[in-house]
Amino acid sequence: MNGVLSPVKPGIIFVLFLFCLTWANTQGVHAALLDGMLDDVEESLAEGLAKKREKLTTGNFYTDDKPNAHAPIGMMGNHTHEAGEVMFSYRLMHMFMEGNRYGTDRITTDEVTMMGRPVPGGYMVAPESMRMWMHMFGFMYGLNDTVTLTLMVPYLNNSMNHVTRMGGKFTTRSEGFGDIRFGSLWRLWAVEAPSIGAHRFHFNLSMSVPTGSIEPTDQTPMGNIRLPYPMHLGSGTVDFYPGVTYGGEMGHASWGIQAIGTLRAGQNSNDFSKGDAYTVNVHGAYELIKNTLSSSVRLSWNHWEPYDGMDPVIRTNNPMNQMRMVSTAFPDLLGGQRLDLLFGINVLFPEFMGLENRLAVEGGFPIYQYLDGQLETDSTVTFGWQAVY
Amino acid sequence: MWRRTHITTWFSLVLWSGFAGAGFAYDVIDVKNGATITGKVAFTGTLPHAPKRFEVRNGPEVCGPERVLNKLEARDGRIKGVVIALEGVEQGKPFVSHRDAATDRGRGAFHYAGGDELNLGVQLEKCSFGPFTGVIRADESVRFVNHDSIKHTLHTYSLKGRNAKIMRTLHTQSLRPQRQTEKDFPAKKLRRASAVVLTCDRHDFMENWLYRVRNPYYAISDESGTFEIGRIPPGDYKLVAWHPVLGIQERRVTVTPDRHLAIDFEFIK
Repeated sequence: MNGVLSPVKPGIIFVLFLFCLTWANTQGVHAALLDGMLDDVEESLAEGLAKKREKLTTGNFYTDDKPNAHAPIGMMGNHTHEAGEVMFSYRLMHMFMEGNRYGTDRITTDEVTMMGRPVPGGYMVAPESMRMWMHMFGFMYGLNDTVTLTLMVPYLNNSMNHVTRMGGKFTTRSEGFGDIRFGSLWRLWAVEAPSIGAHRFHFNLSMSVPTGSIEPTDQTPMGNIRLPYPMHLGSGTVDFYPGVTYGGEMGHASWGIQAIGTLRAGQNSNDFSKGDAYTVNVHGAYELIKNTLSSSVRLSWNHWEPYDGMDPVIRTNNPMNQMRMVSTAFPDLLGGQRLDLLFGINVLFPEFMGLENRLAVEGGFPIYQYLDGQLETDSTVTFGWQAVY
Repeated sequence: MWRRTHITTWFSLVLWSGFAGAGFAYDVIDVKNGATITGKVAFTGTLPHAPKRFEVRNGPEVCGPERVLNKLEARDGRIKGVVIALEGVEQGKPFVSHRDAATDRGRGAFHYAGGDELNLGVQLEKCSFGPFTGVIRADESVRFVNHDSIKHTLHTYSLKGRNAKIMRTLHTQSLRPQRQTEKDFPAKKLRRASAVVLTCDRHDFMENWLYRVRNPYYAISDESGTFEIGRIPPGDYKLVAWHPVLGIQERRVTVTPDRHLAIDFEFIK
């Protein structure tokens, strides 16, 4: 399935982006894109609220001085900024994977190497565990009343432990900048009133450029070779991330839903492309200490397609005996689905030197995984700092 | 074919947006034998709004630890801050230059530079935009100057819908310390809007209401509730008295040359 729409996707995204940009410019948009298009809905809501002596407010995307005004730190592009507002952020993300999984079944390394799961015949080497650290530097800027610009620069550090069929062990590492991602958030529509809370919708549109290496190398029992796909630092392709985000607030509670796609544009210079991916996040949060502390819970559904094509330099078979080398070198095994359950805390500090500072942490684990034959995820933790000026 | 269709679509969009921005014209002429309207605005009953106190969380060193939002200033049955506007005048005197400053703890002021346009400038100082009420004109830029050493987040709304039940966001703009920002208030965004509300998202006590005027024939009642509008060309007009809390009252007036009209308004709650 992956790659079928490849020639069309960039065009669709580009036209959509151009449409939004042109619309915003020609209309002199001063708030949300859908302002004036939902008058009947707004009038109807306002009629009901008038009986309670309330006014309906539209187009307000301002997130109050609440710790849960921002979504859990593991989510990106969940809030927009006022015109002229700037936010710097730093996230430290850690993901730990241990043990192999085929479908929903856990499989031992012996099963991978000796018994040949998922592929009959087995592999000379099985991955045992993988640890991924990512430093993510972020920047957001409110360009005008409609558009917030975003920039994300990741720096990755990956290590993977392996075991050979004979019981020998070795570790490979890759480190460097990942794919730099920049984009925009477009305010769509927002309504709020005391008795119905606040409901805000925005459109996410960003893209990444292939600055991360798809040719990392390290020492293995086979010599210094190009490492398999999970150790890559980038995709090698220009990728697009369209999505829609909804956020709600009422009293001390907040909630949200975000659906984001990852669409790859064609194949990279090494003749493959990572699979398209889709993520849906649903979260709820509650302000425990006013203006200071909130807790959150999030469900994150991730679906990613197998790779399309393959890197001819990454060895799949031992040239001596034609045995399969390692499962991570097979692109068709790199698809899967996962549902994570995550818990988080957001802390908002009193303003200092004009900066609104936030610290947050979120961690969780999968409650469901279906993998085509990869290392399974055990835990993810994200720590973050955000400063708004 | 595809290309032609799309070029036409974009061109139509641009063209339409240009027409949609057209506003109401007002021409400045030399007014001879102009008339004058003076009057008083009175209030009878119980004040519908008591002053509201706010503890300042953002920037108390600039705003003070506590602030009060007083939406209705009435003394001895007279109301301050009622906007009196003469509607229907399409040509007449130029806009007059004047400055209205806040009288509470804040020192913000509305500076109307005047001339062919209203030329409103908002001088934001000590966490105050200016007096609670003022006026604004569509299709003009408004200059916001933040004289404070802290950031403010300007949030402007127009009132729309039947009975002004909907507050629609016009702008949300971060106002950096010691900086000037200009914001446009195009007529197409103010359609059916009688007033614009200025708020600061970071300071709940900062709230100001600007009545939309189309000509320079307006006045704002002073502490004694009195007002005066001069140099009015002869004609039949609508005289409006508006206050965000008390609502609106209208009178039909016929102005003849060199005449002085005395018209009082009374709000009863």
